[in-house]
Amino acid sequence: MTDAFLTAMSGVMEPYTLMLMMVATCAGIIAAAIPGFTITMAIVLTLPLTFAMPPMQGIAVMLSVYVGGLSGGLFSAALLGIPGTPSAVATTFDAFPMARQGKPGKALSLGLFASFIGSIISIAVLIIAAPPLAMLAVKLGPWEYFALIIFALTIIASLVGDSLIRGLIAGLVGIGIATIGPDPLMGRERFTFGYEILAAGIPFLVILIGMYAMSQLLSELEPSRDQHSQTSGSLISGDMRPHLWQTAKSVIMRPINVIRSSLIGVFIGAVPGAGSSISNLLAYDQAKRASKHPETFGKGEPDGVVASEAGNSSTVGGSLIPLIALGIPGSPADAVLMAAIMVHGISIGPRLILDHPDLVYSMFIAMAIASVFMLFIGILLMRAFLNLLNIPKYIIVPTVLACCAIGTYTLNNRLSDLYLLACIGIVGYILKKLDYPLAPLVLGVVLGPIAETNLRRAFQTSTDWTLFFTRPISALLLALAVASIAYSVYSLIKQRKAVA
Amino acid sequence: MEQKSTEAALSSTLQLLSYVIIAIGALFLAVKAGSLPASRWEPMNAGTFPQIVFLSVAVLCGIAVILEVARNGFPRASLNVALTRLNRLKPVIVNIILFTCYMIAMPWLGFITSTFIYLVTAQTFLTTEKLKALPVILCIAVVFSAGPYFMFSELFNIYLPRAQW
Repeated sequence: MTDAFLTAMSGVMEPYTLMLMMVATCAGIIAAAIPGFTITMAIVLTLPLTFAMPPMQGIAVMLSVYVGGLSGGLFSAALLGIPGTPSAVATTFDAFPMARQGKPGKALSLGLFASFIGSIISIAVLIIAAPPLAMLAVKLGPWEYFALIIFALTIIASLVGDSLIRGLIAGLVGIGIATIGPDPLMGRERFTFGYEILAAGIPFLVILIGMYAMSQLLSELEPSRDQHSQTSGSLISGDMRPHLWQTAKSVIMRPINVIRSSLIGVFIGAVPGAGSSISNLLAYDQAKRASKHPETFGKGEPDGVVASEAGNSSTVGGSLIPLIALGIPGSPADAVLMAAIMVHGISIGPRLILDHPDLVYSMFIAMAIASVFMLFIGILLMRAFLNLLNIPKYIIVPTVLACCAIGTYTLNNRLSDLYLLACIGIVGYILKKLDYPLAPLVLGVVLGPIAETNLRRAFQTSTDWTLFFTRPISALLLALAVASIAYSVYSLIKQRKAVA
Repeated sequence: MEQKSTEAALSSTLQLLSYVIIAIGALFLAVKAGSLPASRWEPMNAGTFPQIVFLSVAVLCGIAVILEVARNGFPRASLNVALTRLNRLKPVIVNIILFTCYMIAMPWLGFITSTFIYLVTAQTFLTTEKLKALPVILCIAVVFSAGPYFMFSELFNIYLPRAQW
């Protein structure tokens, strides 16, 4: 064990490997910060570059992109109000209002420190508790998966926006959009109406870019009282200083929030198919519920930024648990990592730890080092990003829209995706204007196929629907979903009474 | 019961209209889902799940309409308010048109030319100091049209659309 650890340490700590990791972390942050460029895409683009590297070095580079990418979404979330990745959806709730209040530096540094601590906690949990957590995640059957998704969607719907009912409609419309194209089990075509453009379904990333990026950018063009700031000013202005020590202290002074959010991230990350897109929302929700002043959430509350960023960054450790222990990738990014390991002739599965302990240790070490790089590079880049904010809106909006088109096209090299992008962007903008929350819709698109697959699998296993209520974990999750809606309705009634 | 502000009345009207449109669309898709082929070996066929989802959407929209009308009554929005609001959204509408033209033109003009034209047109339209900003606009248009094309083709072997002429 010690030999394997030392071999891993010497492999990762080589100056050339460290330099590559630094570049990879930087690339991950930048890629995830650009709306439309996802972590998965960044890892996919990195994959061919690692073919010529030794396995340890290649995996270290890929993990660096992954770790950097999980915090990169913070930049566009805070500065543009656009989550660069789905894992940064909850970050926009408070980081963007905070930046708009003239504290962009504080919003970014809070997120970076929370990401760093979240990553470190997740690595510690991965090393200490990987086997039992993986066993727990694997015990979930289709009933539990379906219940988990229902629970996640009800939370999302009740979390965002002013209206629970519009949140639920948006979530269900998202699930409905995901049913376009081939059905996930038998591949039968649905709702294509003879259009080839819809035959493969609507790619999730096109929906994400259209709904979030386009609608947000178009909203930026709406005139306000200050006409100058609309078309010639920057999106955000204010205190550009990151206030490093103050912010570090501020994060450390929230130990319960950081630890709770990180543990949520680790657990959700360990559940295959879940991942950072759910963990950031769950962590945010828990922070809001536990807060003594929940009314400040959504208005630039530091606890919200900390919870979301610690929650999403800690999934990286959690998602590696089923990958390392069982060979099950928890997310598309993990699937690419798995492919990268297999390219080097190493088989993934329970024997990975036994046969290649040095490689597994190198993954742990690489993640820890990449987290440190992420913090330092993030702080350095923060200044550059903050300076970038001085670019006038008339430049930034069309340019980012063009970048969205590039991101959309490079997903599948398909021109038809560009037409879909334009349509989805317009629909997203209209829905935004009508006060429909877009987060439940986008997450409905991601979670819809998982929900359908597991519901149908559950009924294929047994036609007894009562199993959803008699299996303890499934029953608990469904009860939590009902409680989540009931709590939201109760809060709304209470709020209305208070206003009256 | 009635909406007092004309702006709020317009928002309520549009929201009510959106519930109705979404409900009609959802009911149509639910009926379509019901006509998908079923197999007796599957307890849930390809259409069952979408049918549940779309029926739930229609029901929720119905509830939303009832709640909205019960709470605020039928909103009364005037056409003038709607037109004023539409006029205020001119920069957004023009940009949507430009972006749509950009997407449609890309297969024929290629990435470099279409992006260059889109960036120059959109930025010139949005800025108030057109002449002063022109050199910057042209620089940005060149960098962001040719730059990504060559970066993707040289580094990642991904070729953005080329011109058809």
